[in-house]
Amino acid sequence: MDAESKTTVVLISLAVTFLGLRAGFQDDWWGQVAPLPSIPLVEPDVTNTATVRVSAAELLRTGGDTSGLECYTCHEKDKPPKIKFDTNNLVVLPKEHEDLVMRHGQHQRNVNCYNCHNQRNLEGLLTRDGTELKITDSTRLCGSCHGPTYRDWEVGIHGRTSGYWDRARGPITRQGCTSCHDPHNPVFPGRKPTPGPHPLHPVPRPPQPEPGEH
Amino acid sequence: MAEPKPQPPGPPPWAHGQHDGELTRRSFLRATAALAAGFAAVAALSPLRELQKYSSVEEFLQKHYKELTPAEMTRVLERIAREVEREYQVRPHVRDLKPMNGVEFAYALNLTRCIGCRKCVHACVAENNQSRSPEIQYIRVIKMPNGTFDVERGDHHYAPESVPEKGFYYMPVQCHQCKSPPCVKVCPVKATWQEPDGITVIDYDWCIGCRYCEAACPYWARRFNFGKPSIPKEKLNEDMSYLGNRPRRQGVMEKCHFCLQRTRAGRYPACLEVCPTGARKFGNVLDPESEISYILKHKRVFVLKEEVGTLPRFFYYFDV
Repeated sequence: MDAESKTTVVLISLAVTFLGLRAGFQDDWWGQVAPLPSIPLVEPDVTNTATVRVSAAELLRTGGDTSGLECYTCHEKDKPPKIKFDTNNLVVLPKEHEDLVMRHGQHQRNVNCYNCHNQRNLEGLLTRDGTELKITDSTRLCGSCHGPTYRDWEVGIHGRTSGYWDRARGPITRQGCTSCHDPHNPVFPGRKPTPGPHPLHPVPRPPQPEPGEH
Repeated sequence: MAEPKPQPPGPPPWAHGQHDGELTRRSFLRATAALAAGFAAVAALSPLRELQKYSSVEEFLQKHYKELTPAEMTRVLERIAREVEREYQVRPHVRDLKPMNGVEFAYALNLTRCIGCRKCVHACVAENNQSRSPEIQYIRVIKMPNGTFDVERGDHHYAPESVPEKGFYYMPVQCHQCKSPPCVKVCPVKATWQEPDGITVIDYDWCIGCRYCEAACPYWARRFNFGKPSIPKEKLNEDMSYLGNRPRRQGVMEKCHFCLQRTRAGRYPACLEVCPTGARKFGNVLDPESEISYILKHKRVFVLKEEVGTLPRFFYYFDV
């Protein structure tokens, strides 16, 4: 076989190969990668910037339902309600206030209503040093006990901020204590986590050590 | 093959212009085979036409970001706006925000406050036009047992009814905007670099998709668009920046850029604003009065993988 025939043979076989490939692509002989299951969209409410609760100050500012802040529709003026305690020295909530969860401080150490509420003016607050405060000024009351946290809040590193880091360009929105913490049960509430990453293939999860086991 | 060549009586009409004026069976076959091979090769390569790497000649001929004159940049932004409008039927507001003078960004995250709700992850996806399916997320939240610090054994895929779970803490990880970024060093085409305000950016039009930077990053902060990104039209964030959150194409890298379309306009990043606990803090580290400066001065901050020498601008701390 001389060089010319070799060239012809090579060219013909190349043509056959390429045509085969083309036919292969056309008819999908090798099979395309199976399309991955589509990932459901996350509900838009996970990206909202609302606080977890509405503080009294916010309620008054936005003109919401403030009936819960008007103590003297039920209570009598100059006649502070008497607090009942059970045998464990815990407050027995009257049925009008049953919705409260009394869990301020560990070991139920701070559950006396008048630790914070002013018994002479139920619509206001009273710090331990005798300063009378409005219900909207609760942050100062919290700060009277939680000094380090209050200091952090004052400089802006505790609590939520939004708006402009560059104060020259725009305002900043700060939140008070009760926008995130329920004063009767101040531990930040848990919530359902938003969906985690969707792996392409099932991932073996690392063995989860028990908490406390190092 | 010693048979004598039959001499044709005269040159055939199609053989005009041939020097020897003859067309043998062999040369005919060879020419046909070469032609067929050529066509077949083109046909076999035709699936490549479906790849839309360059949507226009304009983009193909575009210069590197740093070499663009203001007039050229205006044209580039106009092209991007046109392309986005064509694909999403939304006219975006595309800008090229430059770093601000006297500003260097830093981020701090209070691990005591983080409850692992992953709201930041999804706020980031919405803000930065990340692909929803296939999924690209800049922030990973790692769950680890209290008292341990073994990132390798951390869990990304936790899904309990309620977080935080007792006995665990959660550590969100995203791009640390290192002062000595290994990802920038390895880029063979200089498609990624560090800006004067500390943000390491990517020119999505210059990236060749080699993924060296992804391998170099010790924080697994870089993401690659393996598939064509898909964003629902109504979810597109129209406030876009060239180096920030404009839609990416298949085959390029992307990563957290501290929401530069927001932060270079003075605003807080999206992940910070959405955090329900206020665990995330951000600001200008060159301003001694800023929140971030206070944290760096007063809290026991640490960085992740300090020993690799990347000097991150992302700090973690625990407090009471």
